[in-house]
Amino acid sequence: MPRVPAIVIVLIVAAALLVPPLLPWSHDAIDWNAVRVPPGSPGHPLGTDAVGRDLLARALAGTRITLLVAAAAATVSLVIGVAWGAVAGWRGGKLDEAMMRIVDALYALPFMFVVILLMVLFGRSILLVFIGIGAVEWLTMARVVRGQVLALRERPFVLAAEAVGAPPAAIVLRHLLPNLAGVAIAYLLLTIPQVVMIESFLSFLGLGVQEPLTSLGILVKEGADDMDVAPHALLLPGGILVAILVSLTLIGESLRDRFA
Amino acid sequence: MLLPWGLFGGIRLLMRALILRRLFTALPTLLAVVVLSFVLMKVAPGGPFDGERAIDPATQAALARAYGLDLPLHEQLWRYLARLAHGDFGPSLVYRDFTVTDLVTQGLPVSLTLGGLALVLALVLGIGAGLWAASRAGGIVDEALMMAMTLLTALPSFVVGPLLALMFGLWAGWLPVSGWGGGDPAHLVLPVVALALPMTGAIAKLARAGLATALAQDHIRTARARGLPPARILLRHALRPALVPVASYLGPAAAGLLTGAVVIETVFALPGLGGYFVQGALNRDYPLVLGVVTLYAALILLFNLLADLAYGWLDPRIRG
Repeated sequence: MPRVPAIVIVLIVAAALLVPPLLPWSHDAIDWNAVRVPPGSPGHPLGTDAVGRDLLARALAGTRITLLVAAAAATVSLVIGVAWGAVAGWRGGKLDEAMMRIVDALYALPFMFVVILLMVLFGRSILLVFIGIGAVEWLTMARVVRGQVLALRERPFVLAAEAVGAPPAAIVLRHLLPNLAGVAIAYLLLTIPQVVMIESFLSFLGLGVQEPLTSLGILVKEGADDMDVAPHALLLPGGILVAILVSLTLIGESLRDRFA
Repeated sequence: MLLPWGLFGGIRLLMRALILRRLFTALPTLLAVVVLSFVLMKVAPGGPFDGERAIDPATQAALARAYGLDLPLHEQLWRYLARLAHGDFGPSLVYRDFTVTDLVTQGLPVSLTLGGLALVLALVLGIGAGLWAASRAGGIVDEALMMAMTLLTALPSFVVGPLLALMFGLWAGWLPVSGWGGGDPAHLVLPVVALALPMTGAIAKLARAGLATALAQDHIRTARARGLPPARILLRHALRPALVPVASYLGPAAAGLLTGAVVIETVFALPGLGGYFVQGALNRDYPLVLGVVTLYAALILLFNLLADLAYGWLDPRIRG
């Protein structure tokens, strides 16, 4: 695993989880005495936004929500993708063909728009953000897992387990899943940046996470609206977002190259 | 560029059969998208005439009747599809006095210009970077370029857009940062670049990987053995088959362009389709949203079709 991206991710996660309780300001507390102060102001090391909310507290809170959504949505996609791919690969034949056809067809759909529709129509709950994004991002996982299962099921230890009469569920759980784990984790790590990007995209448009919660997408939007007078309000959340995306992509790619 | 056999040799029967077959699978997909979106919008709570003030029941009933919203769901769907088949997207419920066709014909040229230019830029830069990296395979240029391309793929357009606007618009003052300017090229530079950059990274990586595979093949070894100049081997013998993975990316690229354009149009205040989509969704303007989704789906399916055709041109073995 590449060392620098791993350290960056650990630092960002640790900061998002551990630092906010130590700060004097919460992410939505308004300091009327310090509206839109520049970085380096007393009490607000990174300044405040246009209504006097501490930018450091907001950036960390936003990072936390973004990571939470990403982890939850990626888990949803992992579960669906692995189950779908494992069943298709293991059962094979007509079922496999039908299931993979469905995956092909879904690949061609403008899914982002379906997610946007879901968000708009069914209230913008954060739970729906998880499920909606997870339900969109499982396709690649399903393809990869199916390929692995197809290769694994011809391996001698699997054939031996079948020959001694092990039930299919036991074979899948005991013999296939442990061998899939490496590839699945690699693709999980590659799914997370995708999910982060979708969540931020939706939040940027005002369709994802809603106030008083905040996320990196919302902060980038607020920063972009305010960038002519306070460029750091855009650079800080944008920088964190890019650092997360780049680091996870690099880690995921190196794991993928090792396992696949 | 994608249809040279149509220009030079006439469309072969084989290709025509392939196109027809693809169209027959694309149409049901399109229909499924339209029906799915239609049903989703109808079952969701809230309607286009919900407002701050309560409308009296008689008016509400009259509005519902006028727009056919009082009919059973399947009847509404059937009416919609029948009109759609005639190219009529229906009236906009929120922008009164405008049909969806009016709005779409206003927005589509802007979005197509933006998306088309971004795609061309991304293809040129991406394939160029892939070729350059492959010609220095294993060297420092190769590694640095591919690292830079990985960084590009991880940069979302909604971060790149505002950053470019900040640097080249507000700080340097070289380029305008918002508006269409009646199609003035200067207004297009920043949006097109912001939309193209993330895709450039993906295309470059695919092209580089394709070139690595292509360069390992026997006919390349033969060409090398016969002493052909490396540039000629790369461009004449390796590039075409190496572009197959790039072609397969065209479908997802179209989807990425359309979603990216929604954000870029918002950031740079361009009057494209994306703005209508977001506004329409927020206002529950059913016909407008359905119209835009249908159009987007059709464009994505069209790009998938183009990708299939491009395979055949790039690698004749796939044609069968």
